[in-house]
Amino acid sequence: MSGLQGRRVLLVEDESLVAMLGEDMLLDLGCEVEVAMRLDKAVALARGADLDMAILDVNLGDTCSYPVADALFERGIPFIFATGYGLSGIEPAYNAIPVMQKPYQVAQMERLLRHLLTCKTPPKGNMPSLPCGCSFWAKIVGPHQIRAD
Amino acid sequence: MQTFDTTTTTLPTLRRGSQLYETERRLNAVLNNASVAIFLMDDRQHCVYMNRAAELLTGFSLTEVLTRDCPLHDIVHHTYPDGRPFPLAECAIDRAFPENNQERGEEVFVHKDGHFYPVGFTASPIRDDEARIIGTIIEVRDITEEKAAAERQRLLTNELNHRVKNTLATVQSIAAQTFKGKTDGVARQTFDARMVALSNTHNVLTAENWESASLRSVVEGAVAPHALAEVDTARFDLVGPDTRLHPKVAVTLAMALHELMTNAAKYGALSVPEGRVGVSWTLEPEGSGERLDLVWTETGGPPVAPPTRRGFGSRLIERQLPLEFDGGADLTFAPTGVICRLRIPLTALGWHGQERVTGRVAR
Repeated sequence: MSGLQGRRVLLVEDESLVAMLGEDMLLDLGCEVEVAMRLDKAVALARGADLDMAILDVNLGDTCSYPVADALFERGIPFIFATGYGLSGIEPAYNAIPVMQKPYQVAQMERLLRHLLTCKTPPKGNMPSLPCGCSFWAKIVGPHQIRAD
Repeated sequence: MQTFDTTTTTLPTLRRGSQLYETERRLNAVLNNASVAIFLMDDRQHCVYMNRAAELLTGFSLTEVLTRDCPLHDIVHHTYPDGRPFPLAECAIDRAFPENNQERGEEVFVHKDGHFYPVGFTASPIRDDEARIIGTIIEVRDITEEKAAAERQRLLTNELNHRVKNTLATVQSIAAQTFKGKTDGVARQTFDARMVALSNTHNVLTAENWESASLRSVVEGAVAPHALAEVDTARFDLVGPDTRLHPKVAVTLAMALHELMTNAAKYGALSVPEGRVGVSWTLEPEGSGERLDLVWTETGGPPVAPPTRRGFGSRLIERQLPLEFDGGADLTFAPTGVICRLRIPLTALGWHGQERVTGRVAR
């Protein structure tokens, strides 16, 4: 058991062939997968779908997936970024988010998704505990302050 | 013939405070603070005025230029970059003694210290009261930086093309080494053919600097998979207008067509000598852009039975392609032959949706 069995994961990836690979890896880990390859669809799912976590490809063709990240922040859904560019490819405002390096590797994907499920930040003051320190941090700051533009 | 008074830089006869004096002062302030070099030429192509930026650009002072009393060409444009003398008669700026305002071009000038520098110029005629052309005003910009940037861009594009090709070849080699003796030859052949399909699409994109690809080239590349092969007109009917495809559309469409080709060659119309494939497409208006409606039709092949299992090709065509482009796909295994209908919206970026969400467009 991976501990990821039955988890609902949003996968945002704009290249057809790469999306297939990512989806297969998630299915092999026992996850239920929602694939979005376009920003509008991804944002809609991030706002409304029943999700446990998400994997966001940073570069979506001619745009970026930050609006999806913001929608997930607002709902407190933890997520990781996927990028082939390394940490420097991500806007500084989002640097608390775990990054999965491309090309996709199932072991790295599993480790980071488990981290999202298990990473607990101790409650501070009257702030509630959230599943991951990354999204906990984001919740305090609020989605409007972290948009770099 | 009227010529310009070469003493206009100082106008001693003008009274301080007079309207003409103030106008002159303002004009001098404008000219000498402009960052673009400005030359005023008479009808013999002698320079009768140049501003401070022009002095900095050429290395010559106005006084030096006036003293030489010759066409400006012989001072700043006298030698080709390869060292040959550049006679005035061959000079594009001189020949283009402009009839129209703002004639533009690019040339390479020679600095006073002997080095060459590329410039962009804009030339406009000056007319007298009877509208006769009595001279030229020429604006000149040093475009060394722009030229260097364009060259860097060209080198980067070449490097990108080279790297992409090499990476594909490397992946192919790794696969070959990794699966040697561990998989059957059929799987390896399928893999290699898919790599070639991907590589062919990149060839089309490379030829177009990765900006866009010709739809017809993508279709032809998919049905004539060997780089130099012509489309076999006995077996293929390709009918439709050409258009430009976004690179993402080009790659996914090419891969989808490759899967249809492979299936046709193995089980469909191309598995028998008399079978044919028609690929026809139209461009239909959709929203503010167009939509590509493409139909792949196989005829003359053996009777088709729907596959028992949906593989990579079906998944790519029926699921990924519509998801990627907000389009549609119908793959029908009709008894007479496979029919595949694709609908792909072609927007400016080939990838609409993001504008509606963010208002933030591409980087």
